[in-house]
Amino acid sequence: MTTTMTSEKALMAHLMRRAGFGASSEELDRLVEQGYDETVEQLLDVDRPNRMSDNLIRRYHSEYSGMMGNLSAGANWMYRMVSTDAPLREKLNLMWHGVYATGYSKLANGKVLHDQIRMFERHGMGSFKNLLIEISKDPAMLVWLDNVQNHNGAINENYGRELLELFSMGVGNYSEHDVKEAARAFTGWTIGNTEYMTMKCARDSVWPYGRLSFHFEFKADDHDDGEKEFLGHKGNFNGEDIVDIICQQPATADFLSRHIYSFFVADEAPVPEWPYKPPRDPAAIAALSNVYFESNYSIKAMLRFLFKSDFFKSEEARFQRIKGPAELVASVLRLTEEYGQPNISMNPTSQQAQFMGQWLLSPPSVEGWHWGTEWIDSGALVERVNFASERFGNIDSPGVRSVVDRILDNSDEDLPPDEVVDRALSELGITEISDNSREALIDFAKKQSEIATAEQTPRERVVNILKLVGATPEFQRA
Amino acid sequence: MTTASKTKTGHLSYNRTVGVAAMQGRGFYYPWAVSVAADGRYFVLGRGSDSDPRGTRYTVMDYDEKYYGTFGEFGTGEGQSLWNAGTAIDSQQRLYQSDEGLHRIIVRNLDGDLLNTWGEFGADEGQLNGPTGITFTANDELLIVDHQNGRIQKFTPEGEFIGSFGTPGSGDGQLNLPWGICVDSAGDIYVADWGNDRIAKFTGNGEFVANYGSSGRGEGEFDAPSSVAVDDNGYMYVADWANHRVQVLDSDGAFVDVHRGESTNSKWAQEFLDTNTEEKEARATANLEPDIEFNTDDLHEESAHIEKYFWGPTHLVFDNDGRLLVVDSNRHRLQVFDVG
Repeated sequence: MTTTMTSEKALMAHLMRRAGFGASSEELDRLVEQGYDETVEQLLDVDRPNRMSDNLIRRYHSEYSGMMGNLSAGANWMYRMVSTDAPLREKLNLMWHGVYATGYSKLANGKVLHDQIRMFERHGMGSFKNLLIEISKDPAMLVWLDNVQNHNGAINENYGRELLELFSMGVGNYSEHDVKEAARAFTGWTIGNTEYMTMKCARDSVWPYGRLSFHFEFKADDHDDGEKEFLGHKGNFNGEDIVDIICQQPATADFLSRHIYSFFVADEAPVPEWPYKPPRDPAAIAALSNVYFESNYSIKAMLRFLFKSDFFKSEEARFQRIKGPAELVASVLRLTEEYGQPNISMNPTSQQAQFMGQWLLSPPSVEGWHWGTEWIDSGALVERVNFASERFGNIDSPGVRSVVDRILDNSDEDLPPDEVVDRALSELGITEISDNSREALIDFAKKQSEIATAEQTPRERVVNILKLVGATPEFQRA
Repeated sequence: MTTASKTKTGHLSYNRTVGVAAMQGRGFYYPWAVSVAADGRYFVLGRGSDSDPRGTRYTVMDYDEKYYGTFGEFGTGEGQSLWNAGTAIDSQQRLYQSDEGLHRIIVRNLDGDLLNTWGEFGADEGQLNGPTGITFTANDELLIVDHQNGRIQKFTPEGEFIGSFGTPGSGDGQLNLPWGICVDSAGDIYVADWGNDRIAKFTGNGEFVANYGSSGRGEGEFDAPSSVAVDDNGYMYVADWANHRVQVLDSDGAFVDVHRGESTNSKWAQEFLDTNTEEKEARATANLEPDIEFNTDDLHEESAHIEKYFWGPTHLVFDNDGRLLVVDSNRHRLQVFDVG
């Protein structure tokens, strides 16, 4: 293993890979100067992010404004991931989208899925209790998990079941009776114009004037306000009461902690295996659960604790996560800086994540995607490597041009092979690399120099190395 | 939290809606601009969607929604386009279309036959970087909003460069990503100065005259105006794009009227509903003007929920009978207003 930068910078690179989409060497230098704890606070301060404006995106991309389909809604989101100065917010949106996976196939309306992501943006770092209430009122979720069909006297258990199983506590911590009682409590939680909206969904109708956005509506006359017994509590509970009781459960604290650990520290087993497989680091989960209760369910407090913890900072934690496809695409595009302004190519670019296995806003099921090594199969790996290599190989991209300038110190002279490789690794935020990978890169750089032709410039030779760095296991991980 | 703004009528009177959403054929898929031919037909230029090229076309219709067909297609080949932006018709009834994706102008006859394609990317005189709004002067000179270069360029109908005015910026006579353009009966030129939230007026020779409006949501204020039209009495009609409304100013720039839109079922919409009765019945029971507490102050959200409102009006122009056509892009229709 070779280290390519100072330990402080390596730690900052780790933080930015996990809490963001990576950072250039130049940005890391600035953040090291600023300090680790201050950078954590900056990442958590997400109230007013700077990013490409909605007006600018909507002006050029008609469908990113109307969002009848999901490709455009996903591509719109990609602009945010690529251009924001508050990357943790978008990273967290990705996590919540995986946990509260809601998909286009049943909704036929990209805008309402976009609205759900915006809800995550507002509540994803606040109180977990508020987040659960908001997701329970979210119009896309109400249709996706059939709560629009959950009526007083004729319950539909789908949402109540998933709320307990996938959204808060996990299998083994509640009974079938609790599921039914939760469903009763959520009767009357629906969307306005239910019949018309759900018919438009079912018919994939854009007529007569495009899609209509959904809005939450509470129908008191369809709500079962009778007494319920839920997780040992008795009362005339409504949905908010159910969420309140859920949030008091130690199982909920552990479940949320494990999600956060899995997303930000190290890949865990897929959620369905959690009842049978202990956490990778039980002490870390216990510590996070403790923060959950001490902070009155504050997600931000849990994240602050996590980013400052030894288990996060540990060298053993580094490069232990496989970058998710959307995360990989965003991390490459932030380095290449090719989307400083809207470009018609964003649609096919954003779609690359789909070819790698993650079609934003179209998760495979309510379980979401299985993260970690399941992102990697032979086809997806080829897509991932090709994408990174192709983008880093485009010297016309402003970010690539800057990287090459910095590597060559703005000169037009070749550097020794080991130096050019180490500089390329550092510029792309790779703090540590296996000896095998580094030797292979140096070997390539040597051979490239030996067969150099007059037509090929030193800059082009650097670009060839950047392309290979994008293909390393280290770059594909976070 | 915001609530739906009050719809005010006065100078603007809603007449009807024409068109319907349709990825292909009769209807529109993100209409972006419209030209009116001497015979009264509307040539509605579709932007289409980046993920579905079928909307990148002209749809030809008239005020009574008689359908005459479509032409044009997505692509980079001869006569094809990527990002349709503006349209205009010259005195010889040739149809011009700007493509801000390929930085060029396409010329057709009214049957859709390709006559010419010209334009070259760049920032030198006569070159284009993102041509958007286009219009003709009384002398058949083509004015092109060269928006990424922050200027207006003037060409012969054959594409020979005549002159230009404007520079990028926010000072008098400067433009920030301008979008739409029109010429009044006196020959003065008006530009929707999108990035500066104002309407800029120039003489026919390109000398700066005045700016109208400022940033905001109040009367006479704009958020990213996309288009302007001026009637024979000097009233300015502005597509206040990100405020999702149309405003009217008098010739001195004083506020006169505002409208959020009032769409009803067009003839084509009604025909769709009459043949899809289940959807028609469900729609009949729906409240299409719900009272919603929005969690954002982005008016985009109001228009996304309330169907009759304008949602991203991209262009407005008068037809031959003096009716104001408002291209209501995200709703795939034109709202038609009587004025005065």
